[in-house]
Amino acid sequence: MEIKKTAIAGTLESSDVQIMLSTGSNGFEFDLESDVAKQFGDQIKETITKVLEMYNVKNAKIKVVDKGALDLVIKARAIAAVQRALDIVDAPKWEVLK
Amino acid sequence: MAERIQDIYLSNKSTKKEWMAFLKKRGIKNFAESETKLIEQTIGLFDDQDRLVATGSIANNVIKYVAVCDIVAQNKGARFNKIISEIESRLAQLNKFHYFVFTKPKYQTSFEYIGFKTLAATEFGVILEKGTPNIDDYLAGIPRFDAGNKIASIVMNANPFTNGHRYLVEKAAKENDYVYVFVVKQDASLFKTAERLELVKEGTADLENVAVINGGDYMVSFVSFPAYFIKNTDKIIKYQTLLDARIFRTQIIKPLGITSRYLGNEPLSHTTNLYNEALQKEMGAEIDVVIVDRLEVDKEVVSATKVREAIAEGDVNKCLKYIPSTTAAYITANLDRLQLRIKKGQRIDGN
Repeated sequence: MEIKKTAIAGTLESSDVQIMLSTGSNGFEFDLESDVAKQFGDQIKETITKVLEMYNVKNAKIKVVDKGALDLVIKARAIAAVQRALDIVDAPKWEVLK
Repeated sequence: MAERIQDIYLSNKSTKKEWMAFLKKRGIKNFAESETKLIEQTIGLFDDQDRLVATGSIANNVIKYVAVCDIVAQNKGARFNKIISEIESRLAQLNKFHYFVFTKPKYQTSFEYIGFKTLAATEFGVILEKGTPNIDDYLAGIPRFDAGNKIASIVMNANPFTNGHRYLVEKAAKENDYVYVFVVKQDASLFKTAERLELVKEGTADLENVAVINGGDYMVSFVSFPAYFIKNTDKIIKYQTLLDARIFRTQIIKPLGITSRYLGNEPLSHTTNLYNEALQKEMGAEIDVVIVDRLEVDKEVVSATKVREAIAEGDVNKCLKYIPSTTAAYITANLDRLQLRIKKGQRIDGN
């Protein structure tokens, strides 16, 4: 699936993460801002990558501002962002969400 | 303690007064009509006793009038992050994913901490951007010339493209291997951005080493002028010109391999003089700043202002000596439309 439009999900508040997805052409291009990037940067990217792969997205620019979000929060925000970016908010992919 | 975000409607006079008092207390003092009328949305964060504790506004793609009271807050920065989160989600609802903020140097890190990238920092103020497409995307879309070449740059509004512009481009093209001509993007002139860009392209089509590029958000084109925390006019000009020059120096020159910038001399305009001075001071050490005397026809300086005046009077013949045939053809074909814009209030005496 191709990203149709730029989309954003999440906030900048403590324990949350803000994810912005936009059209890319070179795989997944991450731009991560986090206090714990050193310790958990790879894990944060992996969680988001998994969600994108579930939706069959191949290319995307991914800007992440993390404020210490737990894995499940990151996943939830990533799902919200990708559904918006693919313009399928009205028709969620249930098999992915289960 | 529940804090809520609410819209603040500045059309309500007492609300506006309260909002202004809050900002004034935190050092934001410019509420000139020209600044506040650009505001599209204002939000406030209110504490459990209904006191305003944080606020921010949106004007097109610029975040403005941000102030936060953190005195009794439990977590420093929490209110700031909350306000900016809300503003960003509102921008997203407006389909805006690329935005700017102008702020004082001491708040630079607060914005960087939530994902904003600094474009230029001066002692007077800082400009940051966030979102996409950003400066890297902008630069990626510009054709490159090999390093080692002499690469000139010119920034022009070209409202419309005249023989004076042509003269400047020609001179740069002769003295260099390649020339970038950046056309100012801000759509505030008699000729629309697309028209100005097209006329520059047509007017320089025969010069093979010239690339005409949209100046994007990064050259002389800020949607709005970030003057609200600076007190007087000369300061404002200095602030703007320095920021503009610094963005050019730190973001544009290196990636594109630019070796010189050509400027038109402007003996009559105080602002342009200050601007040329700032450019020279800012990047004179890094690249050649070439100031070219204005082209004269029949002992009169060629200027786009005179062309616009001729359009307003409906007498195109009067300005034919100032413009190339491509511009003349466009004006003749669209005279009615251009005059209508003037009648509708488009100013022609500015830039």
